[in-house]
Amino acid sequence: MTDTQALPSFLLGPEDWSSAATLAVACGVFRPDVDEEQIADEKVSCYNCRYRRWLAKGISCLAECH
Amino acid sequence: MNILVCLDDTDNLESPGTGHLASLLVSQLEERGWGRGYYITRHQLLVHPDIPYTSHNSAMCFAVQLDEDCPPERLIEHAGSFLAEESAPGSDPGLCVAIPELLSDAEPLLAFGRAAKQQVLTKANAYALARQLGIHLSEHGGTGQGVVGALAGVGLRLSGNDGRMKGRLNFGSPGERRSVAELLADPLVDVVRSLDGQHPEATETVELGEKIKTVLLEGQSVLLLERTGDPAVSWRTCSRRQLKDY
Repeated sequence: MTDTQALPSFLLGPEDWSSAATLAVACGVFRPDVDEEQIADEKVSCYNCRYRRWLAKGISCLAECH
Repeated sequence: MNILVCLDDTDNLESPGTGHLASLLVSQLEERGWGRGYYITRHQLLVHPDIPYTSHNSAMCFAVQLDEDCPPERLIEHAGSFLAEESAPGSDPGLCVAIPELLSDAEPLLAFGRAAKQQVLTKANAYALARQLGIHLSEHGGTGQGVVGALAGVGLRLSGNDGRMKGRLNFGSPGERRSVAELLADPLVDVVRSLDGQHPEATETVELGEKIKTVLLEGQSVLLLERTGDPAVSWRTCSRRQLKDY
């Protein structure tokens, strides 16, 4: 999917496991990505969310509410 | 005849992933009696502002042992139609089908796979190499940008040293223990070894973690372990976090 126009409205580094879990638990739109794209051991984590987008230095969030 | 099939860029934010389509395609090929599919591997490609991707830029590759009476062209035609029909709206699907035994020199393909993890490559780059090597490469919707990842995914799978297995192995519940021999008995596990390359004895005990999967190393499906420091159970399976860079 061509989606280079999406602007990162939210960003975490690639190894901020604790913040990723805390933020996802508090987030109203967390949705687990397919199993093969999940990398965090915490079930609910921004790193495991379908709406995160990987960047060279971490992730942005594509959810409309962010 | 052994062939490699790779799909890329078939999804959008709301659709099933490319891995799901790869699983469906394997099932269809087997149901038609065209051959036997082997495990699917996920290959991470470069994420870069100049590369269009949905959220992670990974390709999905699998091997098929084709029956003698099934020409590769039949599989290619079916896979192309399948991608055109099943890929998500807005996606840019690409298909690559390679026959490793017909490659006179695989190194350019391996190099393309390595390069796709480190630099921005174009469709023109991909088509030129596919033509040079006699590899099938085709696009099935949108911009067709997925041909880059599809060709790269075949190169990475062929390298034998990239990617992790789609899905998970079911040895039991987290916290249960199994011997190394029991883990090796699974047909999807070729090797059991530690992250630092040690090979436990068949009788040693392993504590099961969650969502156990293998990675592709030296052409084999390898189940990685780490030491526990507990004399009662020497090893445990690696977590998703530990496998994220494979």
